[in-house]
Amino acid sequence: MPLLKIDGREIEVTRGTSVLQAALANDIEIPYYCYHPALEVVGSCRMCLVEVEGMPKLQVSCNTFVGDLPAERKVDSKYDMVVNTQNDLVIQERKNMLEFLLLNHPLDCSVCDQAGECYLQDYSFKYGNAHSRFEEEKRVRPNEYLGSQIVINHNRCILCSRCVRFTQEISGTSELYVEARGYDSKIAALEDRPLDNLLAGNVADICPVGALLSTDYIHKSRIWNLKKQPSICQDCSVGCNIDVFSQRDRVFRLTPRENQDVNGYFMCDVGRYGFHRFEEIERLTQPMVQKGETWEAIEWEEAIQKAADLMEKSNGKTAGVTSPYHTNETNFLLGQIFKDVWGSMPQILDEEITFPSGFRISADRSPNRKGMNDICEIIELDLDSEISSKAINGLYILDDGVDRELDDTWKKILEKMDFVIVQSYAMTDLTKLAHIVLPGLAPLEREGTMTNDRGRIQWLRPSLPVTGESKPDWKILSWIRKAMNKDEQDFTEINEVMKEMGEVFPAYKGLSFFRIGPHGLSLNGKASG
Amino acid sequence: MKSFKPILTEHIHQKDCHTLSFYKSVGGYSALEKVLKMNPENVIQEVKESNLRGRGGAGFSTGVKWGFIPKDSPKPTYLINNADESEPGTFKDRLLMNKAPHQMLEGMIISAYAIGCHKSFIYIRGEFYKEYKMLETAIAEAVGNNILGKNILGSNYDLDVVIHRGAGAYICGEETGLIESLEGKRGWPRTKPPFPAIEGYLQCPTIVNNVETLSCIPHIMNYGADWFKSIGPEKGPGPRLFCISGCVNNPGVYEEPMGVSLKELIFERAGGIRNGKQLKAVFPGGSSSAILTADEALDVKMDFEDLVAKKSMLGSAGVIVMDETVDMVQACLNIARFYAHESCGQCTPCREGTAWLEKMLTRLVNGGGKPQDIDMLFEITDNIGGLIDFSKGSFGKTICPFGEAVAWPVRSFVEKFKDEFLKYLPQETVVA
Repeated sequence: MPLLKIDGREIEVTRGTSVLQAALANDIEIPYYCYHPALEVVGSCRMCLVEVEGMPKLQVSCNTFVGDLPAERKVDSKYDMVVNTQNDLVIQERKNMLEFLLLNHPLDCSVCDQAGECYLQDYSFKYGNAHSRFEEEKRVRPNEYLGSQIVINHNRCILCSRCVRFTQEISGTSELYVEARGYDSKIAALEDRPLDNLLAGNVADICPVGALLSTDYIHKSRIWNLKKQPSICQDCSVGCNIDVFSQRDRVFRLTPRENQDVNGYFMCDVGRYGFHRFEEIERLTQPMVQKGETWEAIEWEEAIQKAADLMEKSNGKTAGVTSPYHTNETNFLLGQIFKDVWGSMPQILDEEITFPSGFRISADRSPNRKGMNDICEIIELDLDSEISSKAINGLYILDDGVDRELDDTWKKILEKMDFVIVQSYAMTDLTKLAHIVLPGLAPLEREGTMTNDRGRIQWLRPSLPVTGESKPDWKILSWIRKAMNKDEQDFTEINEVMKEMGEVFPAYKGLSFFRIGPHGLSLNGKASG
Repeated sequence: MKSFKPILTEHIHQKDCHTLSFYKSVGGYSALEKVLKMNPENVIQEVKESNLRGRGGAGFSTGVKWGFIPKDSPKPTYLINNADESEPGTFKDRLLMNKAPHQMLEGMIISAYAIGCHKSFIYIRGEFYKEYKMLETAIAEAVGNNILGKNILGSNYDLDVVIHRGAGAYICGEETGLIESLEGKRGWPRTKPPFPAIEGYLQCPTIVNNVETLSCIPHIMNYGADWFKSIGPEKGPGPRLFCISGCVNNPGVYEEPMGVSLKELIFERAGGIRNGKQLKAVFPGGSSSAILTADEALDVKMDFEDLVAKKSMLGSAGVIVMDETVDMVQACLNIARFYAHESCGQCTPCREGTAWLEKMLTRLVNGGGKPQDIDMLFEITDNIGGLIDFSKGSFGKTICPFGEAVAWPVRSFVEKFKDEFLKYLPQETVVA
């Protein structure tokens, strides 16, 4: 392997690694703008210039690749390349480059959404000059919409062309291009093709400065006031890794979190803006029983007892309904209670979308069907006919939540039941037909594991605090199980549920959040289904 | 002074010199016939030995460039004739296309044969409409006479030539900008490596040569590398078309051997300075070369080495002559404006810096100058194009040499005519 010497450090690199990649992988900071690991190298921002010994001029580290030199040409008879990132020449060059980049910049950090996560701001503080020598008039242009949810502030744009390359290489939709030439260059969207593809939101993330902004987040908060929680997107069965930015009980934005085994660097707009559908819901925060036309709030203990009593009385004629929207742990406990009769509501399929870069949005917009099928041994159960053939008279349902609209068939089934117990976070079509409602957690409040459609188990971490008296869904089921059978253990920690799940389903054996880690774990096809 | 018999422009004053029949009547395509019987390797070797250097501006060895084509590549090889002549003060390729299109085509076919190319392009400047039509006719003539197309002159060698018209961007004369443009993309020069000889047009091995360079090829093949080397200095020999414009009595294209003195060009060929004025400064190689003062100009030989020693360059051999009436600050602004307009906008220093220069010089010309502006002009040009140290090559900072192309001339103006810049400062700001 080629040996690179960079700032005196010896680093072995794979042949063909760029100096920038080698530096970044070894915690050596080289500032850059136009480079992005998912995009073609263009080397145009000139920010990552470094000194390569033996080269007559500074080289862009993003486009300088380390190869094997024949023994007689090696530097000091051992190095394939010697690079300096910290000498006077390089430091001066960074100053010069930042001066150019800031000539026409409005210096409006105080009202810029990017402030706090802006590479122009960070590098200027670290490498730039404190004063501008530019005495001419700045180039001023109005903001423009590139698509329905992306606005561009041209004055802050440094023309790194990441966004343009993104639409060419990742989404494959090519809406963006650089208009005009030289000093007049600006990012523009084709007249008849606005930036409205399902990956459009990513351009705001990859913009290293405050030029591209999502209208969904613009002027809503300062980034340093938000809590950043790594989590998993729950809007399709791909399970993109995300960060949830929130303040108290309110989500402000979701951004993709890098995971090369799942979503690369990106996420789709379905998931990105999906959290808004939880904002307008009628959130359930208290266990309730239906009394004629009205609901009556009751205490948890009473609600659990009532539910257990109803099921006991039905004498094995209660069916459990699982949900691909819930975690493995919740589905597992439901399965343990309703060992004989259970299934899920019919699957709703959307359009499967695959982009040229391989990024995909699954047709199955539920996050955990694979996990549910793994954990619930009866997979393709036709629940409607099962209900009539086995003379089921009661249902215990894990609600799919606000994503589920109830069709007439199911409305009729529910109306025929002697009792319906629903575990849900919101008043939905389904909850309205329930006799007892047990308030579980909303998607972003949940914790547990989910298995994506490629068999990767991932850690869903709670991003929002629990609302009111609602309880974790696995906890509710643990209480129900205990109420129905005094010998059963009442779980106090979700880890205990995972442990028992692993004992029943060997594919899930030995799991812990620690082992799953931030990037998930492939089950290597060990699970069924 | 021995008079030089033109080689490339020998016949340009004759009637119908652009036709195939005329070209054949003066021995045209005889080099091709000879070459088609040769091993392509030997053609490359001959050109390499001739020390022919590119006539477009950079002056890179043509034979060495051809030698970079990978021998074992499964991809097709392309030859592109760079006819996007757009360097200010340069108008020689236009003349060659106008008057000797078959000489250029013969050079193209020989070169294409040498590098194993079967499809070649002429990327012609969009404004050259007349030349475009003439080349179309010339190509049709060649195809009709089995000089182009399938089985050329019964040799089993095939070659098609396609003309592509540019859309008016200076930067599309830079070879990788040209290739991008030819591919139908924005004319943004590519980062190198890879160089076009490895990955050029459509990621295939590609050679880009200038019109004048290609026009030299038939003569080299006819008379040999040694003959070529005997014309002018051995390290950069051959005939050269000098385009003389500006404040002279007889502006025009003059063919002279490399190494001719600039004094001779201006005062003998071009008839001296018009209106009896004094020489003040000269661009020796297009507007991208650093200007020479009158003293420097009278003492320089027009070859690669001597101009580099004078911290300028031969470039495209576009000689722009300025007399004593020329306001050097205005001239400098004119240059800066041109480059600000033509910067492709890809690299930060060039996109921002060229416009900064233009704005600052405009302010200076309009009477708003400040004493620190003069030093700033040096710093900005250095930051765009790099410190100039000819012993180590240039310290360029951009993807293509455009940064240097603006930095060198602008810097040379300020350096050599600083007093004129100082005169533009408002009087109260000048400290005695």
